[in-house]
Amino acid sequence: MIGRIGDVPLSGDPASRFLPWTVGLLVFLATLAFAAGMFLSSAGEIWRQNLSGTLTVQIPASETGDRASRVAAAVELLRATPGIVAVRPIPDAEIAALLEPWLGKQVLGLELPMPDLIDASVGPDADIDLPALSTRLSQVAPGAAVDDHAAWLRRLTDLAAIAQTVSFAVMIVILMSAVATVIFTTRTGLAIHSEVVEVLHLIGAQDSYVARQFQSHTFGLAAIGAVAGFGFGAAIVGLVQTYGDRLSGGLLPEIALAPTQWVFLAALPVVAVLLVVFTVGVTVKRVLGKMM
Amino acid sequence: MKVLANGVGDIVRFENVGMRYRLGAEVLHDVSFSLKAGSFHFLTGPSGAGKSSLMRLMYLSHRPSRGSISMFGRDVSTVPRAELAALRRRIGVVFQDFRLIDHLSALDNVALPLRIAGAKEGQIRDHVAELLRWVGLDGQIDDKPTTLSGGEQQRVAIARAVIARPQILLADEPTGNVDDEIAIRLMYLLEELNKIGTTVMVATHNESLIERFPHPCFHLEGGVLSGPGIAPPVGEANPAAGADPQVRT
Repeated sequence: MIGRIGDVPLSGDPASRFLPWTVGLLVFLATLAFAAGMFLSSAGEIWRQNLSGTLTVQIPASETGDRASRVAAAVELLRATPGIVAVRPIPDAEIAALLEPWLGKQVLGLELPMPDLIDASVGPDADIDLPALSTRLSQVAPGAAVDDHAAWLRRLTDLAAIAQTVSFAVMIVILMSAVATVIFTTRTGLAIHSEVVEVLHLIGAQDSYVARQFQSHTFGLAAIGAVAGFGFGAAIVGLVQTYGDRLSGGLLPEIALAPTQWVFLAALPVVAVLLVVFTVGVTVKRVLGKMM
Repeated sequence: MKVLANGVGDIVRFENVGMRYRLGAEVLHDVSFSLKAGSFHFLTGPSGAGKSSLMRLMYLSHRPSRGSISMFGRDVSTVPRAELAALRRRIGVVFQDFRLIDHLSALDNVALPLRIAGAKEGQIRDHVAELLRWVGLDGQIDDKPTTLSGGEQQRVAIARAVIARPQILLADEPTGNVDDEIAIRLMYLLEELNKIGTTVMVATHNESLIERFPHPCFHLEGGVLSGPGIAPPVGEANPAAGADPQVRT
Protein backbone atom coordinates (compact mmCIF):
# COMPACT_ATOMS: atom_id res chain seq x y z
CA MET A 1 0.00 0.00 0.00
CA ILE A 2 2.85 2.36 0.79
CA GLY A 3 3.95 4.37 -2.23
CA ARG A 4 0.85 3.38 -4.17
CA ILE A 5 -2.46 5.11 -4.51
CA GLY A 6 -5.26 3.45 -2.49
CA ASP A 7 -7.83 1.28 -4.25
CA VAL A 8 -10.68 3.30 -2.75
CA PRO A 9 -10.48 7.00 -3.76
CA LEU A 10 -10.99 8.44 -0.30
CA SER A 11 -8.75 11.48 -0.59
CA GLY A 12 -11.37 13.59 -2.36
CA ASP A 13 -14.20 12.93 0.08
CA PRO A 14 -15.73 16.07 1.58
CA ALA A 15 -16.29 14.31 4.89
CA SER A 16 -12.67 13.20 5.25
CA ARG A 17 -11.44 16.70 4.37
CA PHE A 18 -12.70 17.90 7.76
CA LEU A 19 -11.31 14.96 9.68
CA PRO A 20 -7.91 16.52 10.55
CA TRP A 21 -9.68 19.66 11.82
CA THR A 22 -12.14 17.65 13.86
CA VAL A 23 -9.53 15.34 15.34
CA GLY A 24 -7.21 18.30 15.93
CA LEU A 25 -9.85 20.27 17.83
CA LEU A 26 -10.87 17.29 19.90
CA VAL A 27 -7.29 16.35 20.76
CA PHE A 28 -6.62 19.99 21.66
CA LEU A 29 -9.57 20.01 24.08
CA ALA A 30 -8.68 16.57 25.42
CA THR A 31 -5.11 17.73 26.04
CA LEU A 32 -6.35 20.70 28.08
CA ALA A 33 -8.83 18.54 30.01
CA PHE A 34 -6.22 15.87 30.72
CA ALA A 35 -3.64 18.46 31.78
CA ALA A 36 -6.20 20.16 34.03
CA GLY A 37 -6.94 16.82 35.65
CA MET A 38 -3.25 16.21 36.29
CA PHE A 39 -2.73 19.78 37.58
CA LEU A 40 -5.55 19.29 40.07
CA SER A 41 -4.19 15.93 41.08
CA SER A 42 -0.79 17.51 41.76
CA ALA A 43 -2.35 20.49 43.55
CA GLY A 44 -4.36 18.22 45.86
CA GLU A 45 -1.24 16.26 46.72
CA ILE A 46 0.75 19.44 47.45
CA TRP A 47 -2.05 20.79 49.67
CA ARG A 48 -2.20 17.51 51.52
CA GLN A 49 1.57 17.43 52.03
CA ASN A 50 1.70 21.08 53.14
CA LEU A 51 -1.07 20.81 55.72
CA SER A 52 -0.97 17.26 56.96
CA GLY A 53 2.28 17.71 58.89
CA THR A 54 1.16 20.63 61.02
CA LEU A 55 -1.00 21.43 64.02
CA THR A 56 -2.19 24.84 65.10
CA VAL A 57 -2.99 25.50 68.75
CA GLN A 58 -5.25 28.42 69.44
CA ILE A 59 -5.43 29.94 72.92
CA PRO A 60 -8.29 32.40 73.22
CA ALA A 61 -7.75 35.82 74.81
CA SER A 62 -8.62 35.93 78.47
CA GLU A 63 -8.93 38.79 80.95
CA THR A 64 -7.61 36.60 83.72
CA GLY A 65 -4.21 35.04 84.05
CA ASP A 66 -0.84 35.76 82.56
CA ARG A 67 -0.98 35.47 78.80
CA ALA A 68 2.77 34.80 78.36
CA SER A 69 2.86 32.06 80.98
CA ARG A 70 -0.10 30.24 79.38
CA VAL A 71 1.63 30.29 76.01
CA ALA A 72 4.91 29.16 77.56
CA ALA A 73 3.17 26.29 79.35
CA ALA A 74 1.44 25.21 76.16
CA VAL A 75 4.71 25.37 74.21
CA GLU A 76 6.46 23.32 76.86
CA LEU A 77 3.69 20.71 76.83
CA LEU A 78 3.79 20.50 73.05
CA ARG A 79 7.58 20.11 72.98
CA ALA A 80 7.27 17.28 75.48
CA THR A 81 4.70 15.46 73.36
CA PRO A 82 6.17 12.53 71.42
CA GLY A 83 5.81 13.00 67.64
CA ILE A 84 5.95 16.78 67.67
CA VAL A 85 9.27 17.82 66.19
CA ALA A 86 9.05 21.62 66.22
CA VAL A 87 6.99 24.23 68.05
CA ARG A 88 6.80 27.91 67.21
CA PRO A 89 4.62 30.54 68.91
CA ILE A 90 3.38 32.91 66.25
CA PRO A 91 4.37 36.48 67.05
CA ASP A 92 1.66 39.16 67.36
CA ALA A 93 3.04 40.88 64.28
CA GLU A 94 2.35 37.81 62.14
CA ILE A 95 -1.17 37.47 63.58
CA ALA A 96 -1.74 41.13 62.85
CA ALA A 97 -0.57 40.54 59.26
CA LEU A 98 -3.10 37.72 58.90
CA LEU A 99 -5.89 40.02 60.10
CA GLU A 100 -4.73 43.03 58.15
CA PRO A 101 -6.95 42.42 55.10
CA TRP A 102 -10.06 42.73 57.33
CA LEU A 103 -9.03 45.12 60.10
CA GLY A 104 -6.39 47.33 58.47
CA LYS A 105 -2.77 48.03 59.30
CA GLN A 106 -3.40 49.35 62.80
CA VAL A 107 -4.58 46.02 64.19
CA LEU A 108 -2.18 46.06 67.11
CA GLY A 109 -3.11 49.62 67.99
CA LEU A 110 -6.77 48.63 68.36
CA GLU A 111 -5.91 46.60 71.47
CA LEU A 112 -8.28 43.87 70.46
CA PRO A 113 -8.36 40.66 72.52
CA MET A 114 -6.41 38.60 70.02
CA PRO A 115 -5.86 34.87 70.52
CA ASP A 116 -2.43 33.35 70.77
CA LEU A 117 -1.43 30.90 68.03
CA ILE A 118 1.21 28.18 68.19
CA ASP A 119 2.41 26.23 65.15
CA ALA A 120 3.58 22.70 65.74
CA SER A 121 5.25 20.44 63.17
CA VAL A 122 4.46 16.77 63.41
CA GLY A 123 6.87 14.00 62.42
CA PRO A 124 6.00 11.98 59.32
CA ASP A 125 5.09 8.79 61.19
CA ALA A 126 3.73 10.39 64.33
CA ASP A 127 0.46 9.12 65.73
CA ILE A 128 -0.77 11.82 68.05
CA ASP A 129 -3.90 11.41 70.15
CA LEU A 130 -5.45 14.81 69.42
CA PRO A 131 -8.35 14.67 71.97
CA ALA A 132 -5.89 13.72 74.75
CA LEU A 133 -3.50 16.47 73.71
CA SER A 134 -6.34 18.95 73.64
CA THR A 135 -7.44 17.96 77.14
CA ARG A 136 -3.91 18.35 78.51
CA LEU A 137 -3.52 21.72 76.79
CA SER A 138 -6.79 22.92 78.33
CA GLN A 139 -5.37 22.19 81.77
CA VAL A 140 -2.34 24.49 81.23
CA ALA A 141 -4.10 26.99 78.97
CA PRO A 142 -7.86 27.07 79.50
CA GLY A 143 -9.86 27.20 76.29
CA ALA A 144 -6.95 26.02 74.12
CA ALA A 145 -8.06 24.27 70.91
CA VAL A 146 -6.02 22.06 68.59
CA ASP A 147 -6.63 22.22 64.86
CA ASP A 148 -4.99 19.61 62.60
CA HIS A 149 -6.61 21.19 59.48
CA ALA A 150 -8.32 17.91 58.72
CA ALA A 151 -11.70 19.44 57.89
CA TRP A 152 -10.17 22.14 55.68
CA LEU A 153 -7.87 19.64 54.03
CA ARG A 154 -10.73 17.21 53.41
CA ARG A 155 -12.85 19.89 51.74
CA LEU A 156 -9.92 21.02 49.64
CA THR A 157 -8.88 17.56 48.49
CA ASP A 158 -12.53 16.59 47.89
CA LEU A 159 -12.92 19.65 45.70
CA ALA A 160 -9.72 18.85 43.83
CA ALA A 161 -10.83 15.23 43.36
CA ILE A 162 -14.22 16.30 41.99
CA ALA A 163 -12.63 18.76 39.59
CA GLN A 164 -10.11 16.12 38.55
CA THR A 165 -12.88 13.57 37.90
CA VAL A 166 -14.81 16.13 35.87
CA SER A 167 -11.68 16.89 33.82
CA PHE A 168 -11.08 13.24 33.02
CA ALA A 169 -14.79 12.75 32.25
CA VAL A 170 -14.65 15.68 29.85
CA MET A 171 -11.61 14.11 28.21
CA ILE A 172 -13.46 10.79 27.81
CA VAL A 173 -16.51 12.58 26.34
CA ILE A 174 -14.22 14.38 23.89
CA LEU A 175 -12.63 11.12 22.78
CA MET A 176 -16.09 9.56 22.44
CA SER A 177 -17.05 12.52 20.24
CA ALA A 178 -14.01 11.75 18.09
CA VAL A 179 -15.17 8.14 17.81
CA ALA A 180 -18.70 9.23 16.79
CA THR A 181 -17.28 11.62 14.19
CA VAL A 182 -15.05 8.92 12.75
CA ILE A 183 -17.94 6.43 12.55
CA PHE A 184 -19.98 9.01 10.65
CA THR A 185 -17.10 9.85 8.32
CA THR A 186 -16.34 6.19 7.64
CA ARG A 187 -19.98 5.31 6.94
CA THR A 188 -20.20 8.28 4.59
CA GLY A 189 -17.05 7.12 2.80
CA LEU A 190 -18.44 3.61 2.47
CA ALA A 191 -21.69 4.97 1.04
CA ILE A 192 -19.90 7.25 -1.44
CA HIS A 193 -17.59 4.47 -2.62
CA SER A 194 -20.02 1.58 -2.37
CA GLU A 195 -19.45 0.60 -6.01
CA VAL A 196 -15.67 0.38 -5.62
CA VAL A 197 -16.03 -1.46 -2.33
CA GLU A 198 -18.44 -3.91 -3.96
CA VAL A 199 -15.99 -4.57 -6.81
CA LEU A 200 -13.20 -5.27 -4.31
CA HIS A 201 -15.57 -7.51 -2.40
CA LEU A 202 -16.61 -9.44 -5.52
CA ILE A 203 -13.08 -10.05 -6.73
CA GLY A 204 -12.22 -11.66 -3.44
CA ALA A 205 -11.09 -8.94 -1.04
CA GLN A 206 -11.43 -9.83 2.62
CA ASP A 207 -13.19 -7.28 4.82
CA SER A 208 -9.83 -6.59 6.43
CA TYR A 209 -8.35 -5.61 3.03
CA VAL A 210 -11.08 -3.01 2.51
CA ALA A 211 -10.79 -1.90 6.14
CA ARG A 212 -7.06 -1.33 5.68
CA GLN A 213 -7.79 0.99 2.76
CA PHE A 214 -9.90 3.18 5.03
CA GLN A 215 -7.55 2.82 7.99
CA SER A 216 -4.41 3.87 6.14
CA HIS A 217 -6.21 6.91 4.72
CA THR A 218 -7.69 7.89 8.07
CA PHE A 219 -4.42 7.29 9.88
CA GLY A 220 -2.68 10.03 7.92
CA LEU A 221 -5.47 12.55 8.40
CA ALA A 222 -5.96 11.76 12.09
CA ALA A 223 -2.20 11.92 12.73
CA ILE A 224 -1.96 15.41 11.20
CA GLY A 225 -4.91 16.62 13.29
CA ALA A 226 -3.73 14.94 16.48
CA VAL A 227 -0.18 16.32 16.26
CA ALA A 228 -1.44 19.84 15.54
CA GLY A 229 -4.12 19.68 18.26
CA PHE A 230 -1.64 18.35 20.80
CA GLY A 231 0.93 20.97 19.80
CA PHE A 232 -1.46 23.84 20.47
CA GLY A 233 -2.76 22.22 23.65
CA ALA A 234 0.74 21.57 24.99
CA ALA A 235 1.74 25.16 24.21
CA ILE A 236 -1.17 26.45 26.30
CA VAL A 237 -0.34 24.05 29.13
CA GLY A 238 3.25 25.32 28.99
CA LEU A 239 2.05 28.94 29.21
CA VAL A 240 -0.20 28.13 32.17
CA GLN A 241 2.73 26.39 33.83
CA THR A 242 4.97 29.40 33.25
CA TYR A 243 2.48 32.08 34.28
CA GLY A 244 0.35 29.99 36.64
CA ASP A 245 1.22 31.98 39.76
CA ARG A 246 -0.07 35.18 38.22
CA LEU A 247 -3.26 33.48 37.11
CA SER A 248 -4.10 31.83 40.43
CA GLY A 249 -3.14 34.79 42.60
CA GLY A 250 -1.41 32.47 45.04
CA LEU A 251 -4.56 30.41 45.69
CA LEU A 252 -3.14 27.37 43.95
CA PRO A 253 0.21 25.83 44.74
CA GLU A 254 2.90 26.08 42.11
CA ILE A 255 1.47 24.54 38.95
CA ALA A 256 3.88 22.27 37.10
CA LEU A 257 3.50 18.92 35.38
CA ALA A 258 6.12 16.36 36.27
CA PRO A 259 8.11 14.79 33.41
CA THR A 260 6.09 11.58 33.74
CA GLN A 261 2.88 13.60 33.47
CA TRP A 262 4.19 15.16 30.25
CA VAL A 263 4.81 11.66 28.96
CA PHE A 264 1.18 10.73 29.75
CA LEU A 265 0.03 13.92 28.05
CA ALA A 266 2.17 13.19 24.98
CA ALA A 267 0.58 9.74 24.78
CA LEU A 268 -2.83 11.35 24.27
CA PRO A 269 -2.51 12.05 20.51
CA VAL A 270 -1.10 8.56 20.01
CA VAL A 271 -4.06 7.06 21.86
CA ALA A 272 -6.45 9.28 19.89
CA VAL A 273 -5.00 8.18 16.53
CA LEU A 274 -5.04 4.50 17.54
CA LEU A 275 -8.64 4.90 18.71
CA VAL A 276 -9.61 6.50 15.40
CA VAL A 277 -7.90 3.79 13.33
CA PHE A 278 -9.44 1.03 15.45
CA THR A 279 -12.88 2.63 15.14
CA VAL A 280 -12.54 2.85 11.36
CA GLY A 281 -11.62 -0.83 11.14
CA VAL A 282 -14.54 -1.93 13.30
CA THR A 283 -16.99 0.32 11.42
CA VAL A 284 -15.91 -0.93 7.98
CA LYS A 285 -16.08 -4.56 9.05
CA ARG A 286 -19.51 -4.11 10.62
CA VAL A 287 -20.91 -2.49 7.49
CA LEU A 288 -19.31 -5.05 5.14
CA GLY A 289 -20.55 -7.83 7.39
CA LYS A 290 -24.05 -7.11 6.10
CA MET A 291 -22.96 -8.03 2.56
CA MET A 292 -22.96 -11.65 1.43
CA MET B 1 -36.62 -29.65 -13.49
CA LYS B 2 -33.78 -31.97 -12.66
CA VAL B 3 -30.09 -31.95 -13.28
CA LEU B 4 -29.22 -34.95 -15.37
CA ALA B 5 -25.49 -34.83 -14.76
CA ASN B 6 -24.28 -37.17 -12.08
CA GLY B 7 -22.43 -34.46 -10.17
CA VAL B 8 -18.92 -35.95 -10.35
CA GLY B 9 -16.47 -33.27 -11.47
CA ASP B 10 -19.09 -30.52 -11.25
CA ILE B 11 -17.53 -27.17 -10.48
CA VAL B 12 -20.91 -25.44 -10.35
CA ARG B 13 -24.19 -27.03 -9.41
CA PHE B 14 -27.57 -25.32 -9.10
CA GLU B 15 -30.54 -27.26 -7.78
CA ASN B 16 -34.04 -25.83 -8.05
CA VAL B 17 -32.75 -22.33 -7.50
CA GLY B 18 -35.19 -19.45 -7.31
CA MET B 19 -34.21 -15.83 -6.92
CA ARG B 20 -36.03 -12.63 -6.19
CA TYR B 21 -34.79 -9.16 -5.29
CA ARG B 22 -36.16 -8.22 -1.87
CA LEU B 23 -39.91 -8.68 -2.01
CA GLY B 24 -40.18 -8.43 -5.78
CA ALA B 25 -41.32 -11.11 -8.20
CA GLU B 26 -39.12 -14.13 -8.74
CA VAL B 27 -36.65 -13.53 -11.59
CA LEU B 28 -35.29 -17.07 -11.74
CA HIS B 29 -37.50 -20.13 -11.41
CA ASP B 30 -36.31 -23.61 -10.49
CA VAL B 31 -32.95 -23.21 -12.19
CA SER B 32 -31.03 -26.46 -12.15
CA PHE B 33 -27.84 -27.11 -14.06
CA SER B 34 -24.25 -28.06 -13.53
CA LEU B 35 -20.94 -27.18 -15.12
CA LYS B 36 -18.11 -29.67 -15.42
CA ALA B 37 -14.64 -28.48 -14.59
CA GLY B 38 -12.94 -27.34 -17.77
CA SER B 39 -16.18 -26.87 -19.75
CA PHE B 40 -17.09 -23.88 -21.92
CA HIS B 41 -20.70 -22.71 -22.15
CA PHE B 42 -22.61 -19.83 -23.60
CA LEU B 43 -25.62 -18.35 -21.85
CA THR B 44 -28.13 -16.66 -24.11
CA GLY B 45 -31.54 -15.14 -23.71
CA PRO B 46 -33.40 -11.92 -24.32
CA SER B 47 -32.85 -8.82 -22.22
CA GLY B 48 -34.52 -9.15 -18.84
CA ALA B 49 -34.52 -12.94 -19.02
CA GLY B 50 -32.39 -13.15 -15.86
CA LYS B 51 -28.91 -13.76 -17.31
CA SER B 52 -27.25 -11.17 -15.07
CA SER B 53 -29.14 -12.47 -12.04
CA LEU B 54 -27.91 -15.98 -12.77
CA MET B 55 -24.38 -14.61 -13.10
CA ARG B 56 -24.73 -12.76 -9.77
CA LEU B 57 -25.60 -16.01 -8.07
CA MET B 58 -22.59 -17.66 -9.67
CA TYR B 59 -20.11 -14.98 -8.67
CA LEU B 60 -21.49 -15.02 -5.12
CA SER B 61 -22.89 -11.53 -5.10
CA HIS B 62 -26.38 -12.62 -4.04
CA ARG B 63 -27.95 -15.53 -2.26
CA PRO B 64 -30.77 -17.54 -3.83
CA SER B 65 -34.21 -17.16 -2.29
CA ARG B 66 -34.63 -20.93 -2.55
CA GLY B 67 -32.83 -24.00 -3.77
CA SER B 68 -29.15 -24.75 -3.33
CA ILE B 69 -25.95 -23.70 -5.05
CA SER B 70 -22.73 -25.60 -4.87
CA MET B 71 -19.46 -24.03 -6.05
CA PHE B 72 -16.26 -26.06 -6.19
CA GLY B 73 -18.04 -28.84 -4.36
CA ARG B 74 -19.13 -26.68 -1.45
CA ASP B 75 -22.68 -25.73 -0.59
CA VAL B 76 -22.54 -21.95 -0.66
CA SER B 77 -25.22 -21.59 2.02
CA THR B 78 -23.03 -23.40 4.55
CA VAL B 79 -19.72 -21.71 3.73
CA PRO B 80 -18.71 -19.31 6.54
CA ARG B 81 -18.68 -15.69 5.39
CA ALA B 82 -14.94 -15.36 6.04
CA GLU B 83 -14.27 -18.15 3.54
CA LEU B 84 -16.45 -16.72 0.78
CA ALA B 85 -13.68 -14.29 -0.19
CA ALA B 86 -11.37 -17.23 -0.90
CA LEU B 87 -14.09 -18.84 -3.05
CA ARG B 88 -14.59 -15.57 -4.96
CA ARG B 89 -10.88 -15.48 -5.74
CA ARG B 90 -11.35 -18.70 -7.68
CA ILE B 91 -13.97 -16.97 -9.84
CA GLY B 92 -13.04 -14.43 -12.50
CA VAL B 93 -15.80 -12.04 -13.50
CA VAL B 94 -16.18 -9.73 -16.47
CA PHE B 95 -19.02 -7.43 -15.52
CA GLN B 96 -21.40 -6.14 -18.13
CA ASP B 97 -20.67 -2.55 -17.04
CA PHE B 98 -16.93 -3.31 -16.59
CA ARG B 99 -16.83 -1.88 -13.05
CA LEU B 100 -13.32 -0.55 -13.44
CA ILE B 101 -12.04 1.75 -10.73
CA ASP B 102 -11.73 5.14 -12.36
CA HIS B 103 -8.90 6.64 -10.33
CA LEU B 104 -6.61 3.63 -10.90
CA SER B 105 -4.57 3.08 -14.05
CA ALA B 106 -5.29 0.15 -16.37
CA LEU B 107 -2.33 -1.62 -14.78
CA ASP B 108 -3.56 -1.08 -11.23
CA ASN B 109 -7.08 -2.18 -12.15
CA VAL B 110 -5.78 -5.41 -13.62
CA ALA B 111 -3.40 -5.90 -10.70
CA LEU B 112 -6.19 -5.73 -8.10
CA PRO B 113 -6.90 -9.49 -7.89
CA LEU B 114 -3.19 -10.18 -7.47
CA ARG B 115 -2.80 -7.57 -4.74
CA ILE B 116 -5.89 -8.85 -2.98
CA ALA B 117 -4.44 -12.36 -3.16
CA GLY B 118 -1.24 -11.03 -1.56
CA ALA B 119 1.09 -11.34 -4.57
CA LYS B 120 4.47 -9.66 -4.24
CA GLU B 121 4.56 -6.19 -5.70
CA GLY B 122 7.74 -6.93 -7.66
CA GLN B 123 6.06 -9.68 -9.65
CA ILE B 124 2.85 -7.85 -10.36
CA ARG B 125 3.93 -5.21 -12.88
CA ASP B 126 5.62 -7.52 -15.38
CA HIS B 127 2.82 -10.05 -15.18
CA VAL B 128 0.09 -7.44 -15.67
CA ALA B 129 1.97 -5.60 -18.41
CA GLU B 130 2.36 -8.85 -20.33
CA LEU B 131 -1.37 -9.57 -20.17
CA LEU B 132 -2.27 -6.01 -21.16
CA ARG B 133 0.04 -6.39 -24.15
CA TRP B 134 -1.75 -9.60 -25.04
CA VAL B 135 -5.13 -7.85 -25.09
CA GLY B 136 -3.66 -5.04 -27.19
CA LEU B 137 -3.34 -2.38 -24.50
CA ASP B 138 0.43 -2.15 -24.17
CA GLY B 139 0.29 1.55 -24.97
CA GLN B 140 -2.37 2.30 -22.35
CA ILE B 141 -0.91 0.63 -19.30
CA ASP B 142 -0.84 3.81 -17.24
CA ASP B 143 -4.03 5.32 -18.65
CA LYS B 144 -7.09 5.81 -16.46
CA PRO B 145 -10.29 4.01 -17.52
CA THR B 146 -12.04 7.32 -18.19
CA THR B 147 -9.55 8.04 -20.99
CA LEU B 148 -10.07 4.63 -22.63
CA SER B 149 -12.70 3.75 -25.21
CA GLY B 150 -15.50 1.31 -24.35
CA GLY B 151 -13.69 -1.52 -26.10
CA GLU B 152 -10.44 -0.77 -24.30
CA GLN B 153 -12.22 -0.65 -20.96
CA GLN B 154 -13.77 -4.01 -21.73
CA ARG B 155 -10.36 -5.50 -22.47
CA VAL B 156 -9.04 -4.14 -19.17
CA ALA B 157 -12.03 -5.74 -17.45
CA ILE B 158 -11.27 -9.07 -19.12
CA ALA B 159 -7.60 -8.84 -18.20
CA ARG B 160 -8.60 -8.16 -14.58
CA ALA B 161 -10.89 -11.18 -14.60
CA VAL B 162 -8.24 -13.59 -15.85
CA ILE B 163 -5.03 -12.24 -14.31
CA ALA B 164 -5.22 -14.46 -11.23
CA ARG B 165 -5.91 -17.61 -13.29
CA PRO B 166 -9.39 -18.26 -11.89
CA GLN B 167 -10.86 -21.77 -11.97
CA ILE B 168 -14.06 -20.44 -13.48
CA LEU B 169 -14.51 -17.37 -15.63
CA LEU B 170 -17.90 -15.70 -15.87
CA ALA B 171 -18.25 -13.10 -18.58
CA ASP B 172 -21.38 -11.00 -18.94
CA GLU B 173 -21.49 -9.69 -22.53
CA PRO B 174 -17.67 -9.49 -22.76
CA THR B 175 -17.69 -8.56 -26.42
CA GLY B 176 -20.56 -6.11 -26.33
CA ASN B 177 -18.47 -3.00 -26.96
CA VAL B 178 -15.69 -4.24 -29.20
CA ASP B 179 -15.44 -4.70 -32.94
CA ASP B 180 -15.55 -8.15 -34.49
CA GLU B 181 -11.80 -8.53 -34.74
CA ILE B 182 -11.25 -7.74 -31.06
CA ALA B 183 -14.26 -9.86 -30.11
CA ILE B 184 -12.79 -12.87 -31.88
CA ARG B 185 -9.40 -12.23 -30.34
CA LEU B 186 -10.99 -12.04 -26.88
CA MET B 187 -12.85 -15.26 -27.51
CA TYR B 188 -9.58 -16.91 -28.47
CA LEU B 189 -8.16 -15.66 -25.16
CA LEU B 190 -11.11 -17.23 -23.33
CA GLU B 191 -10.60 -20.46 -25.26
CA GLU B 192 -6.91 -20.45 -24.38
CA LEU B 193 -7.84 -20.14 -20.72
CA ASN B 194 -10.38 -22.90 -21.15
CA LYS B 195 -7.72 -25.14 -22.69
CA ILE B 196 -5.56 -24.80 -19.60
CA GLY B 197 -8.46 -25.89 -17.42
CA THR B 198 -10.50 -22.77 -16.69
CA THR B 199 -14.25 -23.35 -16.77
CA VAL B 200 -15.87 -20.60 -18.83
CA MET B 201 -19.41 -19.30 -19.10
CA VAL B 202 -20.10 -16.41 -21.45
CA ALA B 203 -23.42 -14.59 -21.42
CA THR B 204 -23.90 -13.01 -24.83
CA HIS B 205 -26.31 -11.82 -27.46
CA ASN B 206 -23.73 -12.19 -30.21
CA GLU B 207 -25.14 -14.85 -32.55
CA SER B 208 -22.16 -14.80 -34.90
CA LEU B 209 -19.84 -15.48 -31.98
CA ILE B 210 -21.94 -18.45 -30.92
CA GLU B 211 -21.87 -19.72 -34.51
CA ARG B 212 -18.11 -19.29 -34.77
CA PHE B 213 -17.22 -20.90 -31.45
CA PRO B 214 -19.16 -24.14 -31.10
CA HIS B 215 -19.74 -24.63 -27.40
CA PRO B 216 -22.79 -25.86 -25.46
CA CYS B 217 -25.34 -23.15 -24.94
CA PHE B 218 -27.80 -22.51 -22.12
CA HIS B 219 -30.84 -20.46 -22.91
CA LEU B 220 -32.66 -18.39 -20.32
CA GLU B 221 -36.09 -16.98 -20.94
CA GLY B 222 -38.55 -15.64 -18.41
CA GLY B 223 -36.32 -16.88 -15.61
CA VAL B 224 -36.45 -20.47 -16.88
CA LEU B 225 -33.24 -22.13 -17.96
CA SER B 226 -32.98 -24.71 -20.71
CA GLY B 227 -29.96 -26.30 -22.26
CA PRO B 228 -27.60 -29.25 -22.15
CA GLY B 229 -28.35 -31.70 -19.36
CA ILE B 230 -31.56 -29.98 -18.33
CA ALA B 231 -34.79 -31.90 -18.58
CA PRO B 232 -37.70 -29.82 -19.90
CA PRO B 233 -40.78 -29.22 -17.77
CA VAL B 234 -43.32 -31.99 -18.08
CA GLY B 235 -45.26 -31.69 -21.37
CA GLU B 236 -42.66 -29.52 -23.12
CA ALA B 237 -40.02 -30.44 -25.66
CA ASN B 238 -36.43 -30.03 -24.56
CA PRO B 239 -34.99 -27.11 -26.48
CA ALA B 240 -31.54 -28.45 -25.73
CA ALA B 241 -32.26 -31.71 -27.47
CA GLY B 242 -31.79 -30.20 -30.87
CA ALA B 243 -34.96 -28.25 -31.56
CA ASP B 244 -33.23 -25.05 -30.52
CA PRO B 245 -30.48 -24.30 -33.02
CA GLN B 246 -28.54 -22.37 -30.33
CA VAL B 247 -27.91 -25.48 -28.30
CA ARG B 248 -24.83 -27.41 -29.25
CA THR B 249 -23.76 -30.12 -26.93
